[in-house]
Amino acid sequence: MANIAAQRIKREFKEVIKSEEVAKCAIKVELLNDSYTELKGEIAGPPDTPYEGGNFVLEIRVPETYPFNPPKVRFITKIWHPNISSVTGAICLDILKDQWAAAMTLRTVLLSLQALLSAAEPDDPQDAVVARQYKENLEMFKLTAKHWTNAYAGGPFVNTDCDEKIKRLIDMGIEEHQARVALSSYNWDLERATEQLFS
Amino acid sequence: MAEVMHIFDRYCIHYFNCRDCPHGEQCSYPHKARHEVEQIQYLPGNEYFLGKPRINQRICRFFLRGNCIHQQNCHYRHEHINDLPNVLKGVDKSSNNRSPRGIINTNVPSTSQCENVTNKNSINNSLDLQNKEMLISHQEITPCQKEEHDNKPLTEEEGACASPPLTHISDSWVHAPEFVPKNIYRPKSYAEALSSEAIEEKNANKELCRYVNKDGICRNLTDCTYLHGEMCDMCERLILHPYDEEQRKRHRQECLKQHEKNMELSFAIARSKEKSCGVCFEVIMEKATGEQRFGILPNCNHCFCLSCIRKWRQARQFENKIIRACPECRVTSDFVCPSMYWVDTKEDKDKLIEDYKKALSRKDCKYFKKGQGKCPFGNKCFYLHAFPDGRKCDVGPPPRQRRPRNADADIDVLQVMLWDFLDERDFPWQSLAEDLEDLVSFFTDSEESDWSDYEILFD
Repeated sequence: MANIAAQRIKREFKEVIKSEEVAKCAIKVELLNDSYTELKGEIAGPPDTPYEGGNFVLEIRVPETYPFNPPKVRFITKIWHPNISSVTGAICLDILKDQWAAAMTLRTVLLSLQALLSAAEPDDPQDAVVARQYKENLEMFKLTAKHWTNAYAGGPFVNTDCDEKIKRLIDMGIEEHQARVALSSYNWDLERATEQLFS
Repeated sequence: MAEVMHIFDRYCIHYFNCRDCPHGEQCSYPHKARHEVEQIQYLPGNEYFLGKPRINQRICRFFLRGNCIHQQNCHYRHEHINDLPNVLKGVDKSSNNRSPRGIINTNVPSTSQCENVTNKNSINNSLDLQNKEMLISHQEITPCQKEEHDNKPLTEEEGACASPPLTHISDSWVHAPEFVPKNIYRPKSYAEALSSEAIEEKNANKELCRYVNKDGICRNLTDCTYLHGEMCDMCERLILHPYDEEQRKRHRQECLKQHEKNMELSFAIARSKEKSCGVCFEVIMEKATGEQRFGILPNCNHCFCLSCIRKWRQARQFENKIIRACPECRVTSDFVCPSMYWVDTKEDKDKLIEDYKKALSRKDCKYFKKGQGKCPFGNKCFYLHAFPDGRKCDVGPPPRQRRPRNADADIDVLQVMLWDFLDERDFPWQSLAEDLEDLVSFFTDSEESDWSDYEILFD
């Protein structure tokens, strides 16, 4: 790895550890290898959003050309968000692509992602299904996002109705995550979800 | 160690070092090999002192106090200060005198008048010869002055000398040179000594010795017919004319100016010292040599090292709008100004940029090629557009290229490169050797925000 990238990650690492966001448990960075190329990030779901109370794990890969190129970041924790793929965790955020600036840091990236969670951009979606739901049925989107936060990110909100529907699909021999995706995609319409799964 | 004659002022350096001199017999210096030289003394300043075995010309400080344990074998003179010819009475150079090369022509009237002829005869011939070559501290005491202006501690010392050495040792240790402040020996200044002389007027027009003027050392020593200047307390050079008030004033002003310059520089260093680059996060002044340069953006006040900001502005994977913007605040700047130091204020920055442009405008544009080529920047180019005869040429505004961008809109694109990549070469503060000719991009004024992402490579 280019020296400048490793040097900078080292410095940034210290910066993140000392930052007040870490003190408030809002963001966290962990090293996964000695060469500073792979890191694990964590962000807390921002308050007053469906993601509140959840803890989202991110995979951060630092390219050799960092900081002249953005780090590659994706969600490991499954999340229901218009700008984040519910399948791969890929993120659609301009600063991680063409709007990157060399002065940005891991800390600012994580904070930007946190901001993205509280302010989705459905017009520039990564996950079309989620974005459509967000635009057509915001209440349903919030309910689904809360349920996903509870199921995957340790959020406190429990929706018994959703859990029941998933349980019925599991009883039919469907894998849990698959069942959740199908139900979420069809606004928790059990019949349509079943139809889609068995078609 | 101004009192020490350098060895190679006496002997041929080539013969001394390797017993082979290119001048052979014709060499004007005596040929002596190292082992032939009878005695080599290493003096504290690590300079050779060569010559026949003899006594050092300095007076033994311990003898003066009557407690030298070396007795006859002492390397220093065992003579009372009054017994010596005045040229020898150089006060210890290692005293508080801050001048490293405080030398003054001993051939000044006051000194020669005071010379004690009878005492001089008592010194042997070899020493007399050395006297001529000797350089004397300007803090020298002459016997005349000494008698008139003797300060008390010195008198005490003389009294101590007279007492029997053995009894003296026990109670005089408090007066050892280590404990006695050096300024006890401080005589009248040279200027004071001279002021009583009536020949001042005549000397006012005399020239200063140019050797002393240059580096503080006059090789001609005692025979120099020129005036040896006084020490300027600012530049610490022996450059002040003793009689010419005008010259003194002028020199002081120059020194003051230089001093201000130095102050500015130290301020610049102070404000640059802690600055770190917004891209690599390193403290710029602590980077490797050659990397310690700031890249100043004209339109914002964010701090980067030159190499980082240049690299960012070369990042081809982003749009020009992005890379021309400051990585911190995204304010676009058209060029990067290299600087050794950080600039805080607008005035400093404007001056820096102006100086930079001025420096560039003296260099021939390598695209214009003294009229043979065509510069894509037109009259916006920072470099000089002039013909071989020196005639300047206004090449007009940069050529515009019309190129369809969308189906319905034609966009004018200014065919300009980023200056950043061009000014790398030919600058003393820029050592990057890489050829950046192919790093070509587009450049417009800030108002013209339309950018195209295609490239043109100039040949």
